[in-house]
Amino acid sequence: MKSKLVSLDEALAPIQSGCTIALGGALLRRHPNAAVRALIRNGVKDLTVLGWVTTTAVELLAAAGALRRYEGAYAGMFSYGLAPCFRRGVESGEIEVGDFSESTIIARYRAAAANLPFYPTTALLGSDIARLNPDQFKTIECPFTQRLLHAVAPAHADFTIIHGYASDEFGNVQWPVVRDSDDIDQLMASAAKRLIVSVEKIIPHSEVRKQPSLTYIPSHWVEAVVEVPFGAHPVACDTVYNEDHEHLRRYMASGIDNGEVQGYLDEFVNSIASHDDYLAKIGRARLDQLAAEVAAND
Amino acid sequence: MTDSVFSTNELMVCEVARHIQDGDLAFVGVGSNGRAFTLAVGIPLVAIRLAQLTHAPDCSVHWGNLLGPDLSIQPRSIDQDVLTRWPAQACPLDTGIKCDMIARGAFDLCFDSAAQIDQYGNLNITAIGDYRRPKVRLVGSLAQPEHLAYIRRPLIMMDLGRKSFVENVDFITSVGHFANGQTREQLGAAPGGPALVITDKAIFDFNPVTHRMRLRSLHPEVELQQVLDNMAFMPEVPAQIATTKAPGARELELIRSSIDPNTTFLIA
Repeated sequence: MKSKLVSLDEALAPIQSGCTIALGGALLRRHPNAAVRALIRNGVKDLTVLGWVTTTAVELLAAAGALRRYEGAYAGMFSYGLAPCFRRGVESGEIEVGDFSESTIIARYRAAAANLPFYPTTALLGSDIARLNPDQFKTIECPFTQRLLHAVAPAHADFTIIHGYASDEFGNVQWPVVRDSDDIDQLMASAAKRLIVSVEKIIPHSEVRKQPSLTYIPSHWVEAVVEVPFGAHPVACDTVYNEDHEHLRRYMASGIDNGEVQGYLDEFVNSIASHDDYLAKIGRARLDQLAAEVAAND
Repeated sequence: MTDSVFSTNELMVCEVARHIQDGDLAFVGVGSNGRAFTLAVGIPLVAIRLAQLTHAPDCSVHWGNLLGPDLSIQPRSIDQDVLTRWPAQACPLDTGIKCDMIARGAFDLCFDSAAQIDQYGNLNITAIGDYRRPKVRLVGSLAQPEHLAYIRRPLIMMDLGRKSFVENVDFITSVGHFANGQTREQLGAAPGGPALVITDKAIFDFNPVTHRMRLRSLHPEVELQQVLDNMAFMPEVPAQIATTKAPGARELELIRSSIDPNTTFLIA
C-alpha cells in the first residue's frame, strides 16, 4: 500500500472553478468544513454541489458566492432555521437548486456505485419535485409489471470530499463502534470518482488491521487523506466533539445581513492562512470544551 | 398528583397516543427546535412512550437513525452527543436502510409538519411562491415525500394558521389525497396519504370520497369559528361536531412525572 497522506492544500489543489463536488456529512455532523473553507480561500467558484442533508458546508459556499447549483434533500441550518445565504441566493436566482428526496439521492449514489445508467424509484409519483425537475426524473414503465416509475441518473461528481473519524496513512478510514449513523458517507465514498477524505486523526495501520470491519472507506477508493483535527467545526464529529452552538449562533447573527456575512468570512475564512490558524482563532480552550462535552459521556 | 387542567400539548399527546396500536412501528425525525421540534418530535415521542406505558406496550419507534430507542430516558437537553449515545435496539448502518424500510411498508405511522398544508393534505417544505424564483426558499424535502408515499398512517402535526392551512400549496413536496388534479391511484401512488391532521385547536381527517380535509373534533372550549378563522379554505364540517377527548388523570401523571419531567420534549 502507498501512503496517500498529504496536506489539505495538496489534496484540494486539483479542484477548479466549475467542478461538481459531492460533500459528506449530515445536519450538524461531519461536514468537511475545513476543506470548504480552504476551497473558498483558493478562490474556487461556480461549484455544483451534490449534497445530502447539508448545513454549514453549503451555507459557507453560498455566503462566499462560490455555489452555482445545489442538488440535495435538504439545505438549512437545522435547529437554527433556514440557511440565510443559501436561501437568499436561491430567492435571487443566483443559486440553482435541483431538489431530490432522501431515497432518490440514495438511488443516484447507488446507481453511480454500481456503475448503472439509472436507478428506478416510486418515491416521487405525484410530487412537484419530479414534475418540475423533468430532467432529473424521467418517467419509465417497469418492463415486468408495466408499473409507472421514475428513473434517476447516477450521481457523478468530479470530486467527493468526506470528513471522517480516523484513518491510516493509506486511507483506510474507520468509524467508531458507537456513532451517529444517520448519513450516507460510505455510499457517497463508494460512488466517488476522486475521493478526498479529511479525518480527525491518523492512526497506525496495525490498529486498522485489528478491526477491519470498522473500515468503512478502504484505501482503494481514496485519492488523498488529510489529518484535519476539528475539521468539521463548527458542526460536530460525533464521539470526538460536539457542535459549537456559540459559533453557530454567531454565524446566524451575521448571516442575516450580506455585509456582515462578509465580515464573518473575512475573519474566519479569508484572513486565515491555514486550518491551524483557524483552530487558533477559535481558541484551544473552546475546542477542548467541545471535546470534553463528548468525553464526559464516555 | 394531577389536576384537571391540562395544556394543549398534553391534549395533543393523548390524542396521538390513542391512534397508536400495539405492535406499531412509527417513524419520528430529529426535528429542528422550538415549536417545530415540539410538534414533529416532542409530542410524537411522548405519545409513543405514553402508549407503551398504557395500551400498546409493544409499539416502537425509529427516531432519526435509532431503531427502538429507550424512551424511559429523561434527558435535560438533546445535543449531538446525547443522541449519539442514546441506548437503542439498533443503529442501522446508514440512512439508506431506513429509506428501504419505508419503501417496503415497514412503518405503520409517521409524524410530519410543513410550512403549508392544503385541503387535500398535500405538504410543502420546499418553496413559497414560484419554485424557480421563490419568495421564501425552504429546506427542500428530507424524506417527507417517502413518508406520505409509503407509510400507512401519516399524522400531520401543525398549529392552525391562515398562512399554513391554504387552499392549494405553492409546491407539492409530499403527496396527499389528490394532487395536480389526480387521485393517488391515478398518480400511481400507494394507498394511504395523511390519516389525521392534529392541530392546537382541532383534529381533522379526510373525506375518502371528496379527498378533502374534514373536521373530526374540536378541542375542549374551542369554537368552530376560531378554527375557520385560522384556515384559508373551508374544511368539510359535519352536522354533529365531536369534542377532542380530554386527557385523563393517569395520562397527565405519566407525562409529567415519568415521561417528560424536564419538559425537554414538550419544550414549546
